[in-house]
Amino acid sequence: MQAILDAISLGGTYALAALGLGLVFGVMRLVNFAHAELITISAYVMVVTNDLPLLISFLLASLVAALLAILTELAIYRRLRGTGPAIMLIASFGLSVGLQKSYELIFGALPRSAAVAPWMTGSFEFAGLNFTISSLVTVAITIAILLAMGYLVERTTLGLQLRAAATDFKTARLLGVRSNRLIGSAFAISGILASAVGFILVVENPQVDPMFGLNITILALVGIVIGGISSLRGAALGGFIVGFILSILNTFLGNARVYAYSYLFLAVVIILLVRPGGILSKRNEMERV
Amino acid sequence: MAILEVKDLQAGYGKVDVLFGVSFSLEPGQSLGIVGPNGAGKSTLMKAIAGEVALKSGSVHLQGSPISGKKPEDVVRLGLSLVPEGRQIFGGLTVTENLMLGLTGRRDKASSKQALDQVRGLFPVLNTHAEYQAGMLSGGQQQQLAIARALVADPKVLLLDEPSLGLAPTVIMDVFSKLKEIIALGTSVVIVEQRAHLVTAFAEKTLIIRAGKVQATLTPEDAKDEVALRRAYFGAGA
Repeated sequence: MQAILDAISLGGTYALAALGLGLVFGVMRLVNFAHAELITISAYVMVVTNDLPLLISFLLASLVAALLAILTELAIYRRLRGTGPAIMLIASFGLSVGLQKSYELIFGALPRSAAVAPWMTGSFEFAGLNFTISSLVTVAITIAILLAMGYLVERTTLGLQLRAAATDFKTARLLGVRSNRLIGSAFAISGILASAVGFILVVENPQVDPMFGLNITILALVGIVIGGISSLRGAALGGFIVGFILSILNTFLGNARVYAYSYLFLAVVIILLVRPGGILSKRNEMERV
Repeated sequence: MAILEVKDLQAGYGKVDVLFGVSFSLEPGQSLGIVGPNGAGKSTLMKAIAGEVALKSGSVHLQGSPISGKKPEDVVRLGLSLVPEGRQIFGGLTVTENLMLGLTGRRDKASSKQALDQVRGLFPVLNTHAEYQAGMLSGGQQQQLAIARALVADPKVLLLDEPSLGLAPTVIMDVFSKLKEIIALGTSVVIVEQRAHLVTAFAEKTLIIRAGKVQATLTPEDAKDEVALRRAYFGAGA
């Protein structure tokens, strides 16, 4: 039971990471590798402000991640709009490495650590089963954020514009959708989602180094590809599947867990062979991908 | 004063020029047709006016104010809407959601509901199919949705790029009869078409564009002379 809860918890965390990436991809067709550094900076902020109340620390981390996301959009991506996906991709690589090195200069190359929300590391028994508090809290946070995102995307004007822009940005602009404002909003929301991921990760692993957010970002990218790269639902679902499978493999493979990634990518290949455009893709999305 | 005035417009893509000094003007409540063969630059002209393609030189004035160099999202707020070629409705969104998106470019948000009611009155199918996914509509219904979506922004000038594309002849006549109603309500309309006969008979004046230049201006009377129309469309050798 705990293994399933852990898998749901990790799946949810990956879903949040994938959703942040998917939002930006939707409006800019940009695979933003520097999303990893948004997760990292929020984890650093929470470690550095660990003496403050948890909520204040988290809000500060969200603010910093959102501002950094907007800054990267203003300073780099906005200037490169229209140059083509390859150049944008390379720029995001460059930005990712540049930010990692900046963190190294600011926070040092060695991990910075602090017990963020230590009460979450405990466990309790219920109906004869043992549960860790962090898994339950993570699942609760994930569900709350996914519901909030669902509301934002499905029920608000901003969400409608995000969905339209993800399908056809040119036509959305012809209808009056302000491109700079929409893209800025997508980056800010992706920063806030990254801070939620950073919080969940730093509770589990309080050792923050400059590459802290890299692993989950790469796997979340795999998630959005298998979920359906042009759909936010697909991105979240794909991220969840990757996290879920990885957690289950790590639990049940025992000493063979070193092969967990091999099995994960085997599963990914099989999914892509059956659904080349991703699980939730439609034919036109497949062509675009 | 002309509601839309295009002067010596030159535009293209990168180093390739497509339009070479196109000029015309449109009076309030007037309809203008633009016809020409494939590659003549008709769609580029629409995109350049709507701000989708940057001008290399020349100017576009809407109600006397320059709109050249403005972004598409600003141009629609100033009162010029484009119904793009191929309709470009959002197939995954509902009919209502498509119309709501059209309201984004509307300046007077207080009267949004009246605008929605007005287009639903004009195109009743959008009322009966309000919660349908737009991609499930027929081609003619999608064209009506694309026009309605542009109309809810309350444009003074409505540009339509090939509204008859892919439609059956009877459906085309329906679409054009709706356009007559829209013009009667006071909106000026510019229609780009390959069907020269249809547009020349419909619009108060029609420009023939070939090789990025205006080659001739026709009136509905010219639609009756098939030979003259063909000669104007294809050039003197036709």
